[in-house]
Amino acid sequence: MTRRSCSLTFLIVAISAFGMPGLLNAQSSPKQVNVYIDSVMAADTNEGTDPRLGPMDQKLRGLFGFSTYSLIGHNEGETDCGKMIAFTLPGGKILHVQPRAIDGDMIAMEIVLFDGTRPMMTTDLKLKNNGTLIVGGPRYEQGMMIISIGASTGGSPPIQAQATPAEATNR
Amino acid sequence: MMLGAFEDSELEPNEMQEVAFHLARCESCTGILADYSTLGRDLRSITAEPSLAGFSSAVIARVDRLPMPVFTRIARALRRQLDSVGAGLAWGGAAVAVAVVTIILMTPYAEHFANRAPQSTVLAKAEPNPAAATNPVVDAAANEPTMADNDSHADISRLESENRSVAVWSEPRRDTTVIWLPDQP
Repeated sequence: MTRRSCSLTFLIVAISAFGMPGLLNAQSSPKQVNVYIDSVMAADTNEGTDPRLGPMDQKLRGLFGFSTYSLIGHNEGETDCGKMIAFTLPGGKILHVQPRAIDGDMIAMEIVLFDGTRPMMTTDLKLKNNGTLIVGGPRYEQGMMIISIGASTGGSPPIQAQATPAEATNR
Repeated sequence: MMLGAFEDSELEPNEMQEVAFHLARCESCTGILADYSTLGRDLRSITAEPSLAGFSSAVIARVDRLPMPVFTRIARALRRQLDSVGAGLAWGGAAVAVAVVTIILMTPYAEHFANRAPQSTVLAKAEPNPAAATNPVVDAAANEPTMADNDSHADISRLESENRSVAVWSEPRRDTTVIWLPDQP
């Protein structure tokens, strides 16, 4: 093998290795992300579960030990990778969600939760498609606020509250 | 006596000048010098020059046939071996470098296929704290995120909060990860 043919082989290997991941991403990765937000007030007031929570009820009861869960807001929106979407939540909270990339079955995103103008929490994470991240803890009325953040790239959305159209707000 | 050397330009400059002055005044010596010149030209014309074709190759072949000293033979053999080993090492090094670069560049493929696997890879997860079920306000020290579990559905690479009691845990069966930010007193 001459030096020239060796260099050519190396060049082909390098170009293939550089180019094909991008090609794969371009072919297989959708760029739009649906974001679903449910705001729930949890308390120990023995009032049971808000029926509008639907299948979220079991999830919340499996995760926490409160006796009362009440849906206080539902938001959903669609955004592209790289574009931030903002949601106004009850209690003066604001949630920024910015999907950054879709990597296989995972959605990379940045989430920032504000209390008014003060950032309470910032996180970078990869969430499984149709998976849910719950951010909870801030005090709300007589209990605590639980924010369920779901993301999907299409198909069936993650488990969420069955809010009526009047209660559902976009952004 | 100096005419032969004068003809062959073998005299010193002052001698050449002296003979030249003498020749200008002496016809006899001029004739003798002319005879020398004629004789030299005639001799050069009748001498056959030997052919040099193949001379250098014949010399080299004869040199090669000469017995080579033992040390020289050993040194040459070693040099040949080193040349071949060096070429092998160079090729091997090039192959290893190509392999390493390829592996590094192909890592996105591995990640791509790994993420298609039914069980997603988990990089950050905290174990569910039984205390959290009864009292969600838990201390972050008891729920430090770990990087070892393979059943989580979220991979938290960064988490910043002014709250010092942040707790993180995951419920893989519910596809859910929880970040708990208890209100500060």
